[in-house]
Amino acid sequence: MGKKKLTPYLLIAPYIIHFGLFVAFPVVFSLVLVFHRWNIISPMEYVGPGNFIRLLGDTFFWQSVLNTLYFILIHVPLQLLIAISFALILNLPLRMLGVFRAIYFLPVVVSGVVVTILWQQLFGYENGILNRLLTYLTLPRIGWLTDPDIAMPSIAIMATWKNVGLYIILFLTGLQTVPVQLYESADLEGATAWQKFRHITIPMINPTILLVLVLSTIGGFSLFIEPYVMTGGGPLSRTLSSVLYIYKQGFFFYHMGYAATMGVTLTAIILVVVIIQKKYVERNT
Amino acid sequence: MKYIVLISVIFLSLSVFSCRENINERNGVLYWSSNNTDEITYARFIVEKWNRDNPGKQVRFQPVPEGQSSEEVILAAVVGGTTPDVYSNMWQGDVEYYARAGKLVALDTLEGFMDFLNARCDSAVIKEVTSRDGHIYQIPWKINPIMMIYNKKMLAKTGLKSPPRTYTEFLKMAGIIQKASLVGGRVTKWAGYAEVQVTWWQRWFDYYPLYLSASGGAKLVNADTAVFDNKYSVSTFAFLQKIFKNNYFPTDRLSSGQDPFLSGMIATRFTGPWEIVHAEKFKPEGFEYDFAPMPVPDDHSGPQYTYGDTKNLVIFKTCKNPLTAWYFLREFCRLENEAVFLKITNQLPRRKDLTSDPLFSNYFAANPLMIPFAKQARYVIGPDNSPVLKEVFDVISAEYEQCVVYSKKSPASAVKDAAHSANLVLMQ
Repeated sequence: MGKKKLTPYLLIAPYIIHFGLFVAFPVVFSLVLVFHRWNIISPMEYVGPGNFIRLLGDTFFWQSVLNTLYFILIHVPLQLLIAISFALILNLPLRMLGVFRAIYFLPVVVSGVVVTILWQQLFGYENGILNRLLTYLTLPRIGWLTDPDIAMPSIAIMATWKNVGLYIILFLTGLQTVPVQLYESADLEGATAWQKFRHITIPMINPTILLVLVLSTIGGFSLFIEPYVMTGGGPLSRTLSSVLYIYKQGFFFYHMGYAATMGVTLTAIILVVVIIQKKYVERNT
Repeated sequence: MKYIVLISVIFLSLSVFSCRENINERNGVLYWSSNNTDEITYARFIVEKWNRDNPGKQVRFQPVPEGQSSEEVILAAVVGGTTPDVYSNMWQGDVEYYARAGKLVALDTLEGFMDFLNARCDSAVIKEVTSRDGHIYQIPWKINPIMMIYNKKMLAKTGLKSPPRTYTEFLKMAGIIQKASLVGGRVTKWAGYAEVQVTWWQRWFDYYPLYLSASGGAKLVNADTAVFDNKYSVSTFAFLQKIFKNNYFPTDRLSSGQDPFLSGMIATRFTGPWEIVHAEKFKPEGFEYDFAPMPVPDDHSGPQYTYGDTKNLVIFKTCKNPLTAWYFLREFCRLENEAVFLKITNQLPRRKDLTSDPLFSNYFAANPLMIPFAKQARYVIGPDNSPVLKEVFDVISAEYEQCVVYSKKSPASAVKDAAHSANLVLMQ
């Protein structure tokens, strides 16, 4: 093989090796694992559809899926609304815009574990900052992380704070691609600010909305660090996310086959949700 | 192309040379200790001593490589076939998992092992560490009994002359502390603290030692069957449920910021002897504390057992010189050496002569806070032999949370459901 023919292969080799080792192999291996029982140190044992049968009757897994969907239901719209609102503000010709943009982006680059530890100080029941504030205002304290009905919304608020900076940047980029002429024409026609937002801005940033929806939904399904550090999946398994449960089964109890089965099932669920989202957004904007 | 060939040759040569080096190293014994500083000091001491006395049977030592936990590192080593020959910090609950996978040497097949074990441990301990296949894969090495640490001054203020022994005494003390601590209707001090998270090993510090105390050391799992659906579990759950229901323990996590015990926020805690070093280092001036056995049901009689957080010595099957490894471990556990171990690490060797042999007496005379632990050492239990013990603790934890922390279930039904779930896990 000539040097010229070999060069392109050498150039793509690092990516191919990385892809093969860290993407293709794990995907194929997990598909093999779903039909096996394997505790890492003993030989694999073929169990046919045994893992799927176990999955159907596993109330913890289905509860974890519902918990994750509940999280997404709060987190995604909240994130979308806040991100669009702040992007619109940051798109205005304000002073120190760069500083504000950096500040909003800061939580994104801070480690998830650090963020959760910081928010624990806010959410503490007896001595948390939020409850101290409520006590000061003579209001009853809230079990932000200990009340089974409140814990997941609390985590959703924290996750939104952590990630919203990224989506603000994405929306800002989208907003800057909207041609100014469209707004000028609308102004000539006497359109109100809301009408311009509804009929120009939203349709023009539709691809960004779809991107943010898909990214934040997939991010929502990947919920792990926050419940792992803050609640361990409690109280009463209400913050047990699917990924946390898969992690527990795989890396605490070494049920690799079963964990792979849950992972594959979760992938299918994510795929269905994202397709529905895509169709909905495309139809309504 | 010739460059690729050249790089491949260099890579292969390096691999072969590194393998040759490993083969040479394999003539001795590789020993991993935990990465606890004191245990490393002891490991260095014993390895240097051994190597001086046995120049032909050298032992190489290194602390277990850094990882999220030593258990994870050991598992990775087993999977990768890079296990040490000897490991000195194996949690007893993990031994059955590795033994059933054929990764450990059956020590009872080695010459002189049973004589050694009979001299070291009483029959109950030997029975405890015997696997279901009848072999013994571990040397019971060290224990850290879980007991109740208490703030002497806080307890004195409640009018108690001695630490609470029974559930009723504990609840009475808790009520008095709570009442005295109310500020604007808000509780500011608690009788104690137990982690409310469902992490499986958190039950080593509440339910499990209390269950062992109440039951006289009963098992959770016997012959791959859950056996904890009994009156002792129910009474333990009921006791803890009363504590949380009355807000005697906070449901808030107190793990961050200042130490709640040393700062006087909590009067007691269920903990091990490691607390002494920490307390001595950070206690405020005038702070007084001591240790007492775990509380028991009011009608309890007989010895008060507790969980021992037992860590044991094992030899991996990958060991090329199991006899040398065994002789090294025998030296490791020799009376004189374990007296040094106790002095360096403040951890108790699991041996029946701990309180009777004069070699240990000097240490206890100099460290009176360790005496309750030494007395308790006769009555500790290690985890049962089950390859899925962590999951059993996990299902107990889930029911614990429902019943104890949130009062969503009665103690009897929570225990029954936990045993049912545990049996499903054990069947799988």
